[in-house]
Amino acid sequence: MIEKLSNKDIRTLKYGAIGAALILVFVFGSAGHERWTKAKANGAVLRTKLDAINVDKAKQAGLMSIVPVFEMPQVEEEQKFLFRDKLSEQLKRAGIRNKPLQVQAGRKSPQSGYKLLLVKCNATCKFVQVLDFLARLNENPYLVGIEEIKIKCDPKKQGEVTLDLTVSTFAE
Amino acid sequence: MVWQSVVAIVNDDNEFKGVELRKQDGSFEILWTRSSEDVDTGWREFAAECGLSVEPAALEDADSDRMVVAGFNTEGTIFHRTTVPAVGDKEIESIIELQAETRLPLPPEQIELAWRADQLPDGQMGVTIAVARKEQLQKFVGKVRCFEPAKILLNCEGIVKIWEVLFSGNKENALVLSAGAHNTHVCLVEEGRLSNAVVLDIGVDDFSMTSTEGQTETTERFAQDMRSVLDLFGCPDQEGLPVFVLSDGSATYVSIVSSLRLAGLNARVASPGTNRLMAKSELSDEDIYQYRTPIGLALLALEAGSDELNIFENLYNPAQKVVKKHWLYSSTVTIAIASIMLVLLVIVSYAVDITGPNSIEKRLEASVSDVDMNLLVKRQQLIKTVARERPDLLDLFKVVNESGERGITLTSFYFKKGQPVSITGQASSNDQLSRYEKNLQNTKGIEKVNYTANTNAKSKKITFTMTFHYKNFSRKTTRTKS
Repeated sequence: MIEKLSNKDIRTLKYGAIGAALILVFVFGSAGHERWTKAKANGAVLRTKLDAINVDKAKQAGLMSIVPVFEMPQVEEEQKFLFRDKLSEQLKRAGIRNKPLQVQAGRKSPQSGYKLLLVKCNATCKFVQVLDFLARLNENPYLVGIEEIKIKCDPKKQGEVTLDLTVSTFAE
Repeated sequence: MVWQSVVAIVNDDNEFKGVELRKQDGSFEILWTRSSEDVDTGWREFAAECGLSVEPAALEDADSDRMVVAGFNTEGTIFHRTTVPAVGDKEIESIIELQAETRLPLPPEQIELAWRADQLPDGQMGVTIAVARKEQLQKFVGKVRCFEPAKILLNCEGIVKIWEVLFSGNKENALVLSAGAHNTHVCLVEEGRLSNAVVLDIGVDDFSMTSTEGQTETTERFAQDMRSVLDLFGCPDQEGLPVFVLSDGSATYVSIVSSLRLAGLNARVASPGTNRLMAKSELSDEDIYQYRTPIGLALLALEAGSDELNIFENLYNPAQKVVKKHWLYSSTVTIAIASIMLVLLVIVSYAVDITGPNSIEKRLEASVSDVDMNLLVKRQQLIKTVARERPDLLDLFKVVNESGERGITLTSFYFKKGQPVSITGQASSNDQLSRYEKNLQNTKGIEKVNYTANTNAKSKKITFTMTFHYKNFSRKTTRTKS
C-alpha cells in the first residue's frame, strides 16, 4: 500500500505524524511540566527548612556557647513570670540583693515577630558578684539579651559597685 | 564518497560483459574484463562470476571502495529532444510530463521518465527526455537487485562516453554508431551530451553476409534506416552532421562507413586510442571495442558530478554501502546516545524532583510531625536571633581590663544597645591614656575609640571618659538577618 503513495503523500503523512507527536508532547509535557514546577517549589521549601535545622557542627557549637538553653516564648503574662522568677533565682544565686525587679513592655521585635519585654534590676553588690551573675546569665532559658548595663564603683567602699541592669525576653 | 574503481556489467547483444575500471592520475586502468555467452547465465550468475556478492547478507560486507553499475539496454526506451523557455525545474517538469504522454500513449502511472536540461546559446533550455514502460524497468530492476548496483545507467550514455574518451570524440554535435552483432545503437550527441538514441536491428553480422545480394540489400536498408533516424532526430543538416562509426579496425566497419557515405552522410570510422589507458591494461583495439559499453558506463560512473539520465530514480534506490567505521565515529550513534542521555537526564531530574520532596516529607513525617518540623525551624531561627542579640560582656570586661596598664583605674562602665560603650576612670599620664586608647583601637570588635581627659591639679591624676563602638551593638539600629 505504501508503494502506491506518492512522495507528496508520504511527506504529508510524515508532517502529520510529527504534528501528532508534538501535540502529545505538548499535552502530556505541559501537565508534567506543571507537576515538575510544583515539585521543585516544594523541594526548595523543604530544603530551606532542612537547611534551617541542619546547621553544621561548628556553627551549632558556636550557637550553643551563646545560647546554651532556650525555651520558646509564652504568652506575655506567663513569660513575664517565668523570666522574672528565673532572673531572681540567678541574682540570688550570685548573692546579689536587688531591689524589686521592674517589668516594662517593650516594642515588637521586627526580626522575630515577638514582643520584647524589658526587666530592670538595680542593686548594690560586689564586682565579683556581678561577674558571677553575668557568667551564669546565659543559663536563663527565657533571656534574649542584655539591653543596658551600668556598673559604677563606690569610691567610699572598696570593691562595691552599683548595678543598673536591663535585660529582655520575648513574649507572644 | 570517492570510489577507487568501478565494476560495470551489461547485457549487450545477448552477451554478458563486465569490466573493472580504475582511475589513476588522469589515466584509466582496466583491471579485468569478463564475458559470457552462455544462455543459461543470468545477471545473478554473471555477477557472481565477476566476483560480486549476490547474497543479501553478504552485501553489507562487500568492498566499499568498489562501485558496481549495471547497464540498461535502451531498446524500448524513447528519447525526445525539445526546447523550452528558460523556466524553473518545476515548470520544466510539468511541460515534460505533458510531452511524455504524447510520445508514449500510456497512462502516466505506467511510464517512467527522466530528463536533463541544458542551456542553449539562444537563451532557451534544451531538454533531453527518456521515457520507458515502468513494467519493463521494474523487471530489469528485479534482475539486477541481487548484486545491488550503485547505479543503473543507460547503455547509450556509456557509448557516448567511451566515444568521447577513448575514440577521440571531440565534436559537440555528432551521430555515434555502435554496431553490435545483431543491432546498432545510434546516438545523437548535442552539446557534447547524448540527446537522442535509437536501436536499429541491423548489426555487423548482416554486413558480413557472403552473398553480394544480401550485402546490397543490407546496405540499402541501413542507409534508409539512417535517413529515417536522422529525420526522427530532427537533424536539419543531415549531410553536414559528422557520423562516427565505432570500430575495432576491421573491414566490416569500413563497409558500414562506405554505405553511409554512399547515402550522402558525412561518415567516418572512429578507432580506439589507448593513450588514455594505462599501459598495463594490455587491451587490444578489439578488446576495447568488445567491452566498449561497460567501459563507457564505468567511465561515466567514475566521472564526478555526471548528470546522467536516471530513468530508474523512482524504482530503484540502492542501499548505500557504508564505509566501515568504528561505531564511536558514527554521527548517528552519537546523536542517538546524546538524545538518550538527554531524555534520561530529563527523566532522572523529573523523578528526583518529584520523588525527592515526597521521600523527604515521608521520612520527616516518620520522625517528626509537620507541626514539630515548623516548630523546629522557628526555634532554630529564634535561637539565631537571640544569639545575635547577646553581647558577651564578660569578654568585653576582659578586653577593657587587659588593654590598660597598671596605673589605670576604672570607675564606671556603661553599655546600652544602640549607643557607644562608655568607661570612666583615672590614669597616671597622658601617654598611658594614649596607649590605652591605641590598645583598645587595635582590639577586634572595638572601633571608633575616643576619650576626653581632665587633669586634677592637686593629685595630678588624669580623669578620663572613653567611648568606643563594640561590635554591632553600638549601632543605632541593630539590623539582623532573620
